[in-house]
Amino acid sequence: MRRLPLALVAIGLGGTTLLSGCASAAEAPPSLSLAPGAPGPAFKEAVEPLEFSAQVDHGPHFDFQTEWWYYTGNLESEAGNRYGYQLTLFRRGLSPGLAQRRSNFGSNQIYFAHLALTDASLGEHRAFERFSRGVEGLAGASADPYQVYLEDWSVAALDSTGSTLRLRAREQDVSLDLHLQAERAPVMHGPGGLSLKGVNPTDATYYYSIPALSTDGTLWVRGEQLFVHGSSWFDHEWGSSVMPLGAVGWDWFGLQLDDGRELMLYQIRTLDDVLISGGTIIEQDGRAIWLSEADFEIETLSTWSSRLSGSKYPSGWRIGLPGEQLELELQPLLADQENRLTIVYWEGAVTVAGSVGGRGYVELTGYQASLQPWF
Amino acid sequence: MRALIRAGLRDLTRRPIQSALVVLSLALGVAVVVAIDLANVSAQHGFELSAQSVAGAATHRVVGGPAGIPEAVYLQLRVGHGLRAAAPVVEGIAALPESNQRPVRVLGLDLFAEGPFRTDLEPLSAFRPEFAPFFSQPATAVITQQFSESLGLLPGDRLPVQTGDRLSTVNILGVLTGDTALGSTELLLMDIAGAQELLGMIGRLSRIDLILDPASAAELAAELPAGVRLESAGEQIEVANQLTAAFRTNLTALSLLALVVGSFLIYNTMTFSVLRRRPVLGTLRAIGSTGDQILRMVLIEAAVLALLGSAIGVGLGFVMARGAVGLVSQTIHDFYFLASVQDAPLSPGLAAKGVSLGLGAGLLAALAPAIEASRVRPVEVLRRSSSEAGVARRLLTLSASGVGLATVGAVGFQLSRRSLIGSFIAMLAILVGIALLAPLATRAVALAARAARRDPIIRIAAGSLPRHSSRTAPALAALTVALAVAVGVTLMIASFRSTVENWLSLTLRSDLYVGSPATTGTRPMASLSPDLEPRLAGIPGVKDVEAIRAVLVESEFGEIPLSAVDPRRVRDAELYRLAQGSAAEVWEQVRAGSVVVSESLASRNRVGSSIELSTDLGVKKFPVVGIFYDYSTDRGTVLMSRAVYLDYWNDPAISSLGLSAQAGVEPAELAERVRAALDGTGLEVRINSQVRAQALAIFDRTFAITAALRLLAVVVAFFGVLGALLALLLERSREFATLSALGLTPEGLRRLVFTESGLMGLTASLLAMPTGLILAVLLIEVIDARSFGWTIQLELHWLPFAQALIVGVGASLAAAIYPTARMKRLSLAQALTQE
Repeated sequence: MRRLPLALVAIGLGGTTLLSGCASAAEAPPSLSLAPGAPGPAFKEAVEPLEFSAQVDHGPHFDFQTEWWYYTGNLESEAGNRYGYQLTLFRRGLSPGLAQRRSNFGSNQIYFAHLALTDASLGEHRAFERFSRGVEGLAGASADPYQVYLEDWSVAALDSTGSTLRLRAREQDVSLDLHLQAERAPVMHGPGGLSLKGVNPTDATYYYSIPALSTDGTLWVRGEQLFVHGSSWFDHEWGSSVMPLGAVGWDWFGLQLDDGRELMLYQIRTLDDVLISGGTIIEQDGRAIWLSEADFEIETLSTWSSRLSGSKYPSGWRIGLPGEQLELELQPLLADQENRLTIVYWEGAVTVAGSVGGRGYVELTGYQASLQPWF
Repeated sequence: MRALIRAGLRDLTRRPIQSALVVLSLALGVAVVVAIDLANVSAQHGFELSAQSVAGAATHRVVGGPAGIPEAVYLQLRVGHGLRAAAPVVEGIAALPESNQRPVRVLGLDLFAEGPFRTDLEPLSAFRPEFAPFFSQPATAVITQQFSESLGLLPGDRLPVQTGDRLSTVNILGVLTGDTALGSTELLLMDIAGAQELLGMIGRLSRIDLILDPASAAELAAELPAGVRLESAGEQIEVANQLTAAFRTNLTALSLLALVVGSFLIYNTMTFSVLRRRPVLGTLRAIGSTGDQILRMVLIEAAVLALLGSAIGVGLGFVMARGAVGLVSQTIHDFYFLASVQDAPLSPGLAAKGVSLGLGAGLLAALAPAIEASRVRPVEVLRRSSSEAGVARRLLTLSASGVGLATVGAVGFQLSRRSLIGSFIAMLAILVGIALLAPLATRAVALAARAARRDPIIRIAAGSLPRHSSRTAPALAALTVALAVAVGVTLMIASFRSTVENWLSLTLRSDLYVGSPATTGTRPMASLSPDLEPRLAGIPGVKDVEAIRAVLVESEFGEIPLSAVDPRRVRDAELYRLAQGSAAEVWEQVRAGSVVVSESLASRNRVGSSIELSTDLGVKKFPVVGIFYDYSTDRGTVLMSRAVYLDYWNDPAISSLGLSAQAGVEPAELAERVRAALDGTGLEVRINSQVRAQALAIFDRTFAITAALRLLAVVVAFFGVLGALLALLLERSREFATLSALGLTPEGLRRLVFTESGLMGLTASLLAMPTGLILAVLLIEVIDARSFGWTIQLELHWLPFAQALIVGVGASLAAAIYPTARMKRLSLAQALTQE
């Protein structure tokens, strides 16, 4: 009898707790169910040969879905310390052409950019990224005058052909302000600028480089101002089928050899094989020789595993080009030059030894996850 | 001791109906408190959640004037100042023409900038090809699951929406499901560009969300251009809480009244049970139980009843809260423009609060009877005297303490001007003090009845009433309190309503009103094109068009509503509570750049001779030349000339328009013509009487919950009276048997019981009338003047008094039905030999 009321209270409280338990929704990860996409107008494919004009083609190509402007370089401070830098701006169109909207914020263009700095003396590699809609003042690209920018990360031509440039970028305590002077005319990586990315003829992009730009300027690292000198490489590529079906990523090599030649090699990888590879060697006189799969061999010397991302990358290569009497050995300036950003990949400065010395940049993508969703 | 407690509890089960009634009335009291508590917590939770979900992880925000801030400010912050954690936001309200103009929030974000603020929007990736139209197509939105379910909308549907004077169709691209901060609110989530286009905010932003540490916040605040300011994210929630605090306190106070009535009943039952058991208690003392043990026994009995009542009350309160949440949130929505009230689950804390309130009230009420029981001397058993011997002395003490309590309450009321809770406690003291006069009033009514009628039964009834006053007093007091609350609250609401009606006829002077459907009343969000003014003026039959701009502006007292009105029409003198000069003189100064403020603004913030407002040209001082009556919002309003407004704010938009018809033109007819002219804009054209009816409908909705509470107090009191009468009559069965033996017919006996009950109800009703009047005056002072800063003219009406009489007498008579029916079944001999 004495216990009964207390039992009732317990039931009363228990009952209400039960009710409250029912009221709270079960935890579920956010997701978005979408209306099935209606096929819109298609982007152009890179099939027609390009009639290259620096005044036009340095700028954006809005009829194509994907485009990037890559600046990488090996620099040296007055104290003789080595640095590597990367400033890349990507454009992705959501629909072909440039949308006209009433709102100034309206855009069908997305820009994203990566900034990385490798400091060999400190053994440190730092990388940053930004995303933005392509609207005036936030991000954009233009041909004449040539410029690409995402907020205060910018590439701007100081002349009409885009052979004199200023690169500026700042994030946290890392900052760069560089003057670039082209030492070569733009080099096409294939007939009509077309670079094959797969087995189908439409699996191609337009791709050209300025493989050598003498570089001077200032770096700020941890509050220290450094005057630097060195050489940069510029890649500009655009297309709508950057990643053929089955591809997960690519390896890319851009090397500046001490004998005055430059070498670009790439191989597009599937999960367990190489889908297609190719390259270009630029002779001292600027003549470009296009290389196919049979012309070179890339052998991985060792691997490096990133503890932070869990990815395993090749690290150190032997590259042989029998036709050019070249036998090169590449070592990364730092093992860890991994860009741990929304897309995780390795992009870093390398030192070239072997039949001829040199410096360069290597890009290894798709080792952490396939790049298919991004390109 | 254990045996003693068991004996006590057995006593409770032996009187199941009385025990059940006490449990029930206490349960109702606790239920009301819990339900209101839940509703309040839900409301608060709701807008905290919606404020948080909309703010994300922002610590600060940059805001501007009514028209928002220029986009350039964002570019300056993000690119110029390099603030990485900065995100532009465009926000507004759209109405859904196909869903009865239901309002929905439109939230425009730049998802590329939202990274630092929200981690749960990852599925909204621009790299998903099917999601690309979100950015690249105008009028494309994602909706939340809650919104999708309540409207039955699916991805791919097209939803017509009204924003300002534009009708558009939004493509529903997707539905956001799962646990997201935004998921619990109803909204159209759009790309910032789409939202700007939909809401007509090209080039403007509603705000810029920021994550800043205090030092850089201070630095930034100093650098912002004029007309733009930095505020912390907490401020918004704080403002919303402050806004509704008075409203919520009032509800809580009213809900506690039901509990007070409930505890009167516990007191009643326990007193009664102690009185009845005096012989038993005396015997217990004689055989060795200590007074302390008896005290504990009575308290445990009370605790059992109270616990049971509270537990049931908590459950019942949870069920009632479903209704209360709706009523509370509707009011908050109507008055404070805060949407999205959530159903809050009953937390253990709230349940514990309900139980402890019920238990506390029960024990407190039982304390006096328990002490009395513990003081029963063994010798009293032998004398078998009833404690009614001291009736006269007790009556005096009781009445004196009643007068004392009421006086203390009255003094306290005067002293607690600024404290709302203090005001309520004082009001309660006055109420309870007067209720303690119930026995005295019983005696007066009995004397009057005796003098009035020579009918013997009435004489017997009138004679026996005061004798039982110590048993009936608590129930009578409870009934008096309940009836007085009903009278007081009804009078207050009626007075308030007629004051508002009067005010509406002074303010609503145009024949027709044109406005956006989602933005009726004084909601400050609507933005209509200024071109409407000349367009409407050109319609044949229109004599005059007045444009009104209603916005929220930042002032020295926080964000306040501002109405910019057509300066041509001079406002009536009756609208001013205080004015510098005549109505015409005041208006002349308003035309020249002065302002008038509403009395709620003036009384809440002690507005002086001028008021500082943040204009697009920076902070400016405006002279205050009058205080006017305004019941549209308790936030208070600043009224200024629209010409002056346009000088200081870059905001040519208008919120609504008033149209007057030319002589001889029927407003309804003109309304048709205006509707035809506005075809396709989706704007609403309403004639004066419709606007007035709508305002009063909102008023009635606001007080719906108050009316419900008032009814509940009466229900609680009814059960109390039923229980008290039942107990009293059952106990007096021997007396009735004696009367029967002396020749009183069963019919006569019934009449006697009904007369006694009726007289009790009459007493409670009569006492409740002046008490209710006093309460109405106090409520008008507390709720209207002290909480909201409104002046209300007390309006007397006979109806609430008549209702009190009918309910009081009716409840008492109804309570007598069961005991009399039961009496009939009792045989004379049985009754006489009982005890």
